[in-house]
Amino acid sequence: MSGQFKAELLKIRSTRTTIGLIIGMIALVLLFSLLSGLLTKAPNLVSAEDQRGVLSVGSLAGVFSALAGIMLITSEFRYGTIRPTFLFTPKRSRVIAAKIEAGLLAGFIFGIVAESLGFLIGYAALAGRGIHFALNGNQIALLLLGTFAATALWGAIGVGLGAIVRNQVGAIIALLAWGFVAENLLFAFVPSAGRFAPVHAQDAFIGLTTHHLLHATAGGLVLTAWTAALALAGIALVHRRDVN
Amino acid sequence: MTAAVVAESLCKRFGTLLAVDDLSFGLEPGTITGFLGPNGAGKTTTLRMLLGLAAPTSGRALVLGQPYLQLSQPALRIGAVLESTDFHPGRTGRDHLRMLSEAAELPRARVDEVLRLVELNDAAGRRVKSYSLGMRQRLGLAAALLGDPELLILDEPANGLDPEGVRWLRDFLRTFAAGQRTVLISSHVLAEIAQTVDQVLIINRGRLVVESSLEQLTARVGGSVRVRTPEAGKLVAALEGAGIQTSPSNDHTVLAHGTTSERVGDLAFAAQVPIHELIAESSSLEDVFLELTSEPAT
Repeated sequence: MSGQFKAELLKIRSTRTTIGLIIGMIALVLLFSLLSGLLTKAPNLVSAEDQRGVLSVGSLAGVFSALAGIMLITSEFRYGTIRPTFLFTPKRSRVIAAKIEAGLLAGFIFGIVAESLGFLIGYAALAGRGIHFALNGNQIALLLLGTFAATALWGAIGVGLGAIVRNQVGAIIALLAWGFVAENLLFAFVPSAGRFAPVHAQDAFIGLTTHHLLHATAGGLVLTAWTAALALAGIALVHRRDVN
Repeated sequence: MTAAVVAESLCKRFGTLLAVDDLSFGLEPGTITGFLGPNGAGKTTTLRMLLGLAAPTSGRALVLGQPYLQLSQPALRIGAVLESTDFHPGRTGRDHLRMLSEAAELPRARVDEVLRLVELNDAAGRRVKSYSLGMRQRLGLAAALLGDPELLILDEPANGLDPEGVRWLRDFLRTFAAGQRTVLISSHVLAEIAQTVDQVLIINRGRLVVESSLEQLTARVGGSVRVRTPEAGKLVAALEGAGIQTSPSNDHTVLAHGTTSERVGDLAFAAQVPIHELIAESSSLEDVFLELTSEPAT
């Protein structure tokens, strides 16, 4: 484990930001899992795809993972710690690479926490209501592991986006505006392009089979490509730009 | 011996503004240099280029013989503080130092050593938002000292410090530099650092105005001399006859500029003017600084 990676993990652990994000994430997973597991009418919970909708609530962890990634880099610019950080490690690509690794790890943990919780609540709701469980072992594995992996990737996407935008509020707005508005519009109106966008690539990756989505493998590859592109763009820009 | 810090025709342009304009200087190891200029003169921009945070538009900036970005373990050789506010408010002082020492792979015990050195060990477990400005300055200094550097670069370290803090900093820097280590310290107030530095670089509008030892600068000023005499008019005539500028402060006191008390005493004696008091005033160092860095008269 490199010193820079340890330093980045310490940055994540040493402020209350991360714990705040985890608490917010758990609260939302509890809320949406319970609402969808208990209030969805039984006839709408029969098919594998319907049940996946309930059981994949934990995939909302991607937003929180991306926020954690954004915070990991933009709070350095916001509070000026980027200066001592770069004075101690002038090879800026090493700093950003370590942040990307730390973002992947943090995101992976976010994914495990959120999706395990969401899956258990969803499963308990189905079982408690006596609804026959429609997913097979492979589908469950894809849902769980896909969500863990996708949430990890969102952590790195957050770091890349934060490195590009630098301004904390700007990066958060860009993430939310894209993830909740722009991408949904794109998928709704031009699904042939929208399915290649990151949120819908993730949906495919965790096994959702909504019409127009990519195949799971392709979804995973596309999400990984987005991660790599944003990370590389972030590294290149941070390398080029002066630090105030 | 390699110079500790070198600027070679350093330029930095922001749009149409030439923030640093063909700046060249070299600092010998073991010196404490004051880097002076009014706010906006280009001091911080120069330091950022020396420290690899900003790329020069042209020219070169070398620290310990190399561009900062090419040093393999810069924290072990150079300590720097650019802003006294560079902390996450929600992180403890100790964690701030730990994350930097992890990045530089320094021994863990070093964090507590520098905390003791800057007298922050009692506050180290508190979040930085509860720190006073003086404590933040010292925490920044502690970070710069983590790698036990041989060159220390501080941007406006005395800004906002109370007199006790300024004195603490002065004593600290003297002890630090006693071991043949080099210090470059910027300020927009000469008085803050006049008692600390050996030499000064004064810049204004991005250009070097003065590079000299503190003694030379003082000599160049010459100082002014305050004279109490019952025959002020006669003394003014004698002094002005010798080409010395004067200004009367009241009927019995004359202020002679740019000269020494010996010269004023001799002239008064030659003119047979009785002298009741003769005081050499040294406060005019600040005046020359203001004069050198003020806007040119238009």
